[in-house]
Amino acid sequence: MGEEIAKDYLKRKGYKIIEQNYKTKYAEIDLVTKKGKELVFVEVRTKKGEDFGTPEETLDKRKLRKLWGNAKAYTAWKKWQGPYRVDAVCVVLRYDNMIERINHYENIV
Amino acid sequence: MLIKVPSVANLGLESIKVDVEVNLANRGLPGFEIVGLPDKAVDESKERVRAAISSSGIDFPAKKITVNLAPADIPKEGSLYDLPIAIGILSSILQFTVPDKSLFFGELSLDGSLRHTKGALLMALFAKEAGFQDLYVPKDSANEAGAIKGVKVFPVENLFQLTSHFLKRKNIEPLAYQAILEKERTDVGRLYAAEFDMREVLGQEQAKRAMEIAAAGGHNIIMVGSPGSGKTMLARALPGIMPPLNEKESLEVTKIYSAAGSIPPGGSLITCRQFRAPHHTASPVGLIGGGTRPHPGEVSLAHRGVLFLDEFNEFPRQVMEAMRQPLEDGYLTISRSKERVRYPAEFMLVASANPCPCGYLNHPKKNCVCTPRQVRKYQKRISGPILDRIDLHINVQPVDATEFSDNQKNSELLEPSEAIRERVILARKIQEKRFEKDSIQSNAQMKNSHVKKYCKLAKEIEQLLRQASMKFQLSARSYMKMIKVARTIADLEGAPEITVSHMAEALQYRPKIYESI
Repeated sequence: MGEEIAKDYLKRKGYKIIEQNYKTKYAEIDLVTKKGKELVFVEVRTKKGEDFGTPEETLDKRKLRKLWGNAKAYTAWKKWQGPYRVDAVCVVLRYDNMIERINHYENIV
Repeated sequence: MLIKVPSVANLGLESIKVDVEVNLANRGLPGFEIVGLPDKAVDESKERVRAAISSSGIDFPAKKITVNLAPADIPKEGSLYDLPIAIGILSSILQFTVPDKSLFFGELSLDGSLRHTKGALLMALFAKEAGFQDLYVPKDSANEAGAIKGVKVFPVENLFQLTSHFLKRKNIEPLAYQAILEKERTDVGRLYAAEFDMREVLGQEQAKRAMEIAAAGGHNIIMVGSPGSGKTMLARALPGIMPPLNEKESLEVTKIYSAAGSIPPGGSLITCRQFRAPHHTASPVGLIGGGTRPHPGEVSLAHRGVLFLDEFNEFPRQVMEAMRQPLEDGYLTISRSKERVRYPAEFMLVASANPCPCGYLNHPKKNCVCTPRQVRKYQKRISGPILDRIDLHINVQPVDATEFSDNQKNSELLEPSEAIRERVILARKIQEKRFEKDSIQSNAQMKNSHVKKYCKLAKEIEQLLRQASMKFQLSARSYMKMIKVARTIADLEGAPEITVSHMAEALQYRPKIYESI
């Protein structure tokens, strides 16, 4: 649900979607996109309502470290030589599944 | 938006300025980060600040917040940065300006109120020196900070109240400088609080006299006697005959207590001499002071007061020997890898000990059951160098129980502490006048040069002293101490010169613990 919203949002912002839900034995990357010459890994966090905390709060240090590790592993696997970064897109939905807000945080690690 | 909120860091008794820089960035993942060598208490301030701001009815900003405590290379400790951090964040979101020339200080409670925080007096002193006019401190610590003249202290009850003050909705009234000292001085009852009155101690006239001399000249004293002879009682009655602290001394003592965090909420200057009686199981660090962030120990907390060590020879050797430097110099320097702190420790040592393990050596009626070897071993626990630094040595003879009940009725005829105190105060006044141009206050602190200057001895007195020192094998230091004690005895009488009788009395108090074997 949230990942589809994030995908559309990024597409409109001019990001080219390369992979969605890329999975290996060890890692899972929500979205791999490309903006210009830069490879952008995107972690999508979705919450229905903010009564039990914001999606931003769920991105703690450990998760951020993991995201960076996954990104590095991916670039190594694909032999990517150019620049790359990790972004987060936080989606908050209302209880009727309408979008409350979307925040895009660039280069979070 | 970058906001700078000035605060302080207390290192020992010194303070330095710390700028709390708060930056709220619009870009980046929301978070809260504190840099600038914070310790655990400072780092946990994140959670307190977050909760306190929410409890004050303000939404905590979902932004990337970075707090820097500058200078970044000095380790920061304690909870006092809660208020400056909160004010930095609030000023950024509520758009008020943080006033110049002011310092912020205080621990936040989760409900947004401010709690009593240690070190308020040190901060106020620093503010005065460094030219900060306004101090924002927790209400409970305001009296402590307000004891310093020339700074404006704003007692803050909670975070909401302070934001209203800055948004010019409702002002906080600054605390007027209180002549706290004068107010407390009249409160005599509290000032001379002692457990016992000297009148309650029956018999022991010589010991009482020695106590009076010790109090008058600030001399160290050791009492040796059987169990139940009244050593502890005499020591506990001592605060009642000590002179009050003067303004300068009071400030010195309060500074140490402020650094140790021992001033109660709402408390202000300490005006009575402190009586510290640590138990003999106290650790060296507890007694001398120390730790990775050096804090004052019992010897410093007894500054300008009395350090009473009951059962002196039960104290570990290491602890006793560590007291040599403060006994001699009146201060001690605690050096640790991270910092070096100097704490004053100008105290009067009062020690009590039993003569032997069973306690009845030289008792007029009871028999001692210790072997000479045991006695020697027991007495050797107190080292010569320590005994040499004690000016007055007295033997406390046991009081007969039958005599005791007879005397009970005569208790009213005995001299009360108050009368003794008056003599002590007079003697101290003479000393104050004498040492006006020197950096010392009492006879016990005299260096050899002072002794030469102020204690001119007539020929026959010098002869008496020389004979005595030959006979009793007094050390050079004890020789000097005898002169100092004689000077105090003369001062108690108001005599300008030391006479033979003064010196003869002083010689009664010579070091003699080893003479009994």
